[in-house]
Amino acid sequence: MIPLISAALFAFLLAVAVAVARTRDLFAAAMLTGIFSLLSAGLFTLLDAVDVAFTEAAVGAGISTLLILGTLSLTGSPEAPPRRSWAPLGVVALAGGALLYATLDMPAFGDPGAPAHLHVAPEYLADTPEDIGIPNVVTAVLASYRGYDTLGELVVILAAGVGVLLLVGSGDGGGGGERALGSESHVRMREKLVLRVVARRLVPFVLLFALYVQFHGDYGPGGGFQAGVVFAAGLILYGMIFGVDEVRRVVGPRAVEVGIAAGVLLFIGVGVASLLGGANFLDYSALDPHDPAHGRHLGILGIELGVGVTVASVMTAIYYGFAGRSRRA
Amino acid sequence: MFAAAAIAVLITMALALLRALRGPTVYDRILALNMFGTKTVLLIAVAGFLTGRPEWLDLALLYALIGFVLRNTKYRGLGADEGGTP
Repeated sequence: MIPLISAALFAFLLAVAVAVARTRDLFAAAMLTGIFSLLSAGLFTLLDAVDVAFTEAAVGAGISTLLILGTLSLTGSPEAPPRRSWAPLGVVALAGGALLYATLDMPAFGDPGAPAHLHVAPEYLADTPEDIGIPNVVTAVLASYRGYDTLGELVVILAAGVGVLLLVGSGDGGGGGERALGSESHVRMREKLVLRVVARRLVPFVLLFALYVQFHGDYGPGGGFQAGVVFAAGLILYGMIFGVDEVRRVVGPRAVEVGIAAGVLLFIGVGVASLLGGANFLDYSALDPHDPAHGRHLGILGIELGVGVTVASVMTAIYYGFAGRSRRA
Repeated sequence: MFAAAAIAVLITMALALLRALRGPTVYDRILALNMFGTKTVLLIAVAGFLTGRPEWLDLALLYALIGFVLRNTKYRGLGADEGGTP
């Protein structure tokens, strides 16, 4: 049954990909990329990669579509008519061919002899219960065994966020006209009574769910990345219905900018704390001298919180940037 | 039982996808995406029980929340378009 479902999802995926490439209506393309992400997330779930699916749903189907639509509200929906030229097609065909050729060298799907299953994975799977004592091995690998990689990813998010903010501005410049992305929709949304009532009830639960995902990541699917995105999505939802100024009163632009750096600092701080405890950087066992497993668990909670704060702040800051941009336009 | 439900959900997904591809108006596409989102939630829930992994419901819950946020964005997108392009 599962192979059948996977095959159907792959067929849908192919159809959506072709349609995204062919359509000239960017709004339709944004909708279709949302479907594409949902399909990928479904496939990841079926492959039992629950944490990846979680991220794909939150980032791909959630925030990305949100940001694409925010961009569209600044640029307009129809795509410029394409110029017919064969050179790009050649480049794409060449790159695609090279990628297909590369897949020939990859191990077959589900091959137990694949390097991914032989290198360090068995160690991680065997040692996690003893070393850290948490059931979600993905979180253990991400936050403890591979803490350096995750720190690198977080710094990439920080750099990307700073880059976007430099491009669109942090959103507090420009006189506060009535045409702000937030307040304009505020007027229009005021008539949508159902939306307003439901959103007012739902937003606290979205934020609560984000906190659950944040602090339950060591036991179930989830963690800082997903939680940060869900938290930001809750704030953005509130901003889109009640006006961006309402959100800014709760979470000021300044606080968001501080949060972007604070999360990374917290991550590095946990690493430095383990250095001071006499262990290596990001070796959390030093955090609790009596019980190394407990120390590692604490360290994971600490760095996941850092990840969550930075991700949520970057997403919210980008939203503020877009809102301020359309206010000035 | 669950298999039959999964097949039914897949067929509904195919129909929604067809509507999203064909359009022709923005409203068709939005409704199609909404429906696709709910069907993904259902499919994951069904597949979770089908493979004995009921904890996938957590995931389905996230999808439902994201779906709600998206729906509101799409109204925003429409608002910016003033009725939308055909």
